[in-house]
Amino acid sequence: MTSTSPGQVRLSWQDPVTGEQRNPLLSCPIAFGREFAQMPTDLQGQRVARIVLNSSQVSRYHTLIEWVQGHIRVTDQNSSNGTWVNGVLQSNYDLSNGDLLKIGPYEITLAFTLDGTGRPTTEAREQSIIQVPEPDSPVPVEPVAAGSALPPAFQAHQVGVQDLYATQLPVEEIDYLAVGAGLGSFIWVDFLRIFGAAPQQIRALGIEERPYARYQRLCLNSQIPPHERLRSNSDSCPDNIWGWPGYALREAWQEFNKGKLNPALQYLWQVFAEPTFSQTYTPRAGNVFASIDREAVRIGWPQIYQFGRVRAIRQTNDGRYAIAYSPGRKQIAFVVARHVHLATGYPVLQFLPDLKAYREQTRDFRSVVNAYEEHNHVYETLERQGGTVILRGRGIVASRIIQRLHEARQRNPNISILHLMRSPKPQGNRFGKAQRPVDNHFEFQPFNWPKACWGGTLREVLEQATPDQRTNLLADWGGTTTADRLDWKQLVQTGLDQGWYQITFGEVTRVVPNAQAKPTTYIQEKGPRGEIKLEADFIVDATGLDSKVKTSPLLNDLVTHYNLPLNPAGRLAVANDFELREMRNDHGRMYGAGAITFGGPYAAVDSFLGLQYTALQAIDGLVTARAPNLQRLNGISSCQQWLKWAQNQAP
Amino acid sequence: MTPTLLGRWQTRILLMETVGLVITLLFCGGAFGNPESSDYFWLLQYIVIFGLGWDYLYIQIQTFRWDQDWPAALQWLAALWEGIFIILLVGIADIKLPPLEGWNLGWFIVHYSFVWVGVFVASQSLMRLIFPRWRFRGGQWL
Repeated sequence: MTSTSPGQVRLSWQDPVTGEQRNPLLSCPIAFGREFAQMPTDLQGQRVARIVLNSSQVSRYHTLIEWVQGHIRVTDQNSSNGTWVNGVLQSNYDLSNGDLLKIGPYEITLAFTLDGTGRPTTEAREQSIIQVPEPDSPVPVEPVAAGSALPPAFQAHQVGVQDLYATQLPVEEIDYLAVGAGLGSFIWVDFLRIFGAAPQQIRALGIEERPYARYQRLCLNSQIPPHERLRSNSDSCPDNIWGWPGYALREAWQEFNKGKLNPALQYLWQVFAEPTFSQTYTPRAGNVFASIDREAVRIGWPQIYQFGRVRAIRQTNDGRYAIAYSPGRKQIAFVVARHVHLATGYPVLQFLPDLKAYREQTRDFRSVVNAYEEHNHVYETLERQGGTVILRGRGIVASRIIQRLHEARQRNPNISILHLMRSPKPQGNRFGKAQRPVDNHFEFQPFNWPKACWGGTLREVLEQATPDQRTNLLADWGGTTTADRLDWKQLVQTGLDQGWYQITFGEVTRVVPNAQAKPTTYIQEKGPRGEIKLEADFIVDATGLDSKVKTSPLLNDLVTHYNLPLNPAGRLAVANDFELREMRNDHGRMYGAGAITFGGPYAAVDSFLGLQYTALQAIDGLVTARAPNLQRLNGISSCQQWLKWAQNQAP
Repeated sequence: MTPTLLGRWQTRILLMETVGLVITLLFCGGAFGNPESSDYFWLLQYIVIFGLGWDYLYIQIQTFRWDQDWPAALQWLAALWEGIFIILLVGIADIKLPPLEGWNLGWFIVHYSFVWVGVFVASQSLMRLIFPRWRFRGGQWL
């Protein structure tokens, strides 16, 4: 805890692009704008703290916070979209501690004292993280960082292939290598097969054989069992490059064959009229996984997949890449591959720092949980005993948790939910002539990006933009949203009306155990003496996943070893075809995909359809580079391949 | 669907001049018990040409939608409007579109419906199979 001195302001906001928490402590005057150079360097002899906010909704020099006659005053600088204080448009306004400033998509909470006394403000802190839950595995997570167990030959800038053989450790040479073996790898391998590569030319390294294993675990943990629906589109089919027939048509066909005409017609109507005249169709998790199982067998995935935890990646001196991995405890083996695809996914979960601190202090891992961790005991206990849950975060996962708690209430009505949000959400993001709808402080959108980001106008705009413009666009289109589902909205409204679901706004100052060893949350409300205490049986953090390169030891080693550039979001910088250009090695090509490339030429990198787009771009690039056995997929070969898919024959 | 302007144009021209043309030639030859006439062919060309203009309007409307998408239902409404526009122009306002010779409202509705349904079905299925990149490029196939 620290107090601010007069004239100092603690700003805190969540970055709309990356979801990271920012908490700088600054002295007035403080300027906000889109362009650093357009803001004044000093005012009346005082140096100005300049904050750049990336968004097309933010003016070049947007607003100024000053210390004027004992007040902290905000003055809008004739910005196009205005400065909003607590949901009201203000041109000139004396601020109070806890006020919420809205500038474009940025929602900034201000904490300060006018006289140097009073309530402390929250400390500056980094976003904290925990590991993504993994299955029991014989090989530990800790990578063998450069230097320890890897042979010295592997430390060179370019590794000699003969030096690898000289280690007497197993070496395999192959044309195509997929690192990760999750959904991103699977889709790339699927396309390689369809484009002509044989199974024995491809290797996929990962720690789980089923490509969706990790995704499925995160679904199950965040309360999406197989019969529930994913937030995904009908024609986003990881098992089918063409997206046809989509999951809606397939599900309609299943129902029709069971003699159930009504649901069949309903799914078809949904895909016809969504999202304007009907609710968007989404596929059942179980159906998606079953379709991937079928495709995995068809393309020979069991033969392609190999267990192994990848330790390090290097260029070789003959225009290829060498990958060191552990096929078992304290074992090292190598793969030398001509072309490499990296799709390692989200390395860590975001975990709110106050909650992480609580767990570290109390060693209580049951009362405070992350929504992506296994936490069924929360619902089981609540169904048995009733109780209160504090929910943090307001995305799709939070929505699902509310729904799950609502189901628990059917068994025990003495369950209440306190949804803790940092700030109200009076209006949705704007972009051009459009605005995103808001209801009960939730922002709605069928998927995690506007639909045209996948293959429409917005995809083109983003691809053609400069890195800085991309950050602006991602801020405008991104942010935390949830799916516009009628039943869910009604559930929330009923909960609010009946009082078992409540929304509270405030900045959390600390979470500590009370006398009964239950977590107590203290929050700073708006106004001078606004600390309030919230008691709960459980706290669920539904704030999400993190994919910064620095949080993945494997990628961090690669970036450091080859001095690779990162994009403004801190992820791997990739070209429009998702190649890591700086890793090009003579004929060898390396590509990235998925969350680790977020912030680049494509917004929806971590979606099924986004992974397909990325894989298609990468493989078209490989075809151009005359990679072994690949043929461009043209109209005729595409139809032939589809017929094989339809008949479940190998590509 | 999330089309771009170029994608709308390319898809319209391709589908109208393949699927639409085959259906139209059947009409030209009187295959449905209709009077033989080359008017069906010329009407198809006018629908394509006016359509290029409508596509520009639709793209503008799309920018008011947050998702910048164009659901199948809107495709149908747009098709309905384009058909009505031809009826208003040729059938009601009696504007001469050379080299059209006659006008038969009933057969126009049948012809237009066949063409449109054929084009719609092809756009929802065959296009995806023949052009695997089409859906990622806002409907551009070239």
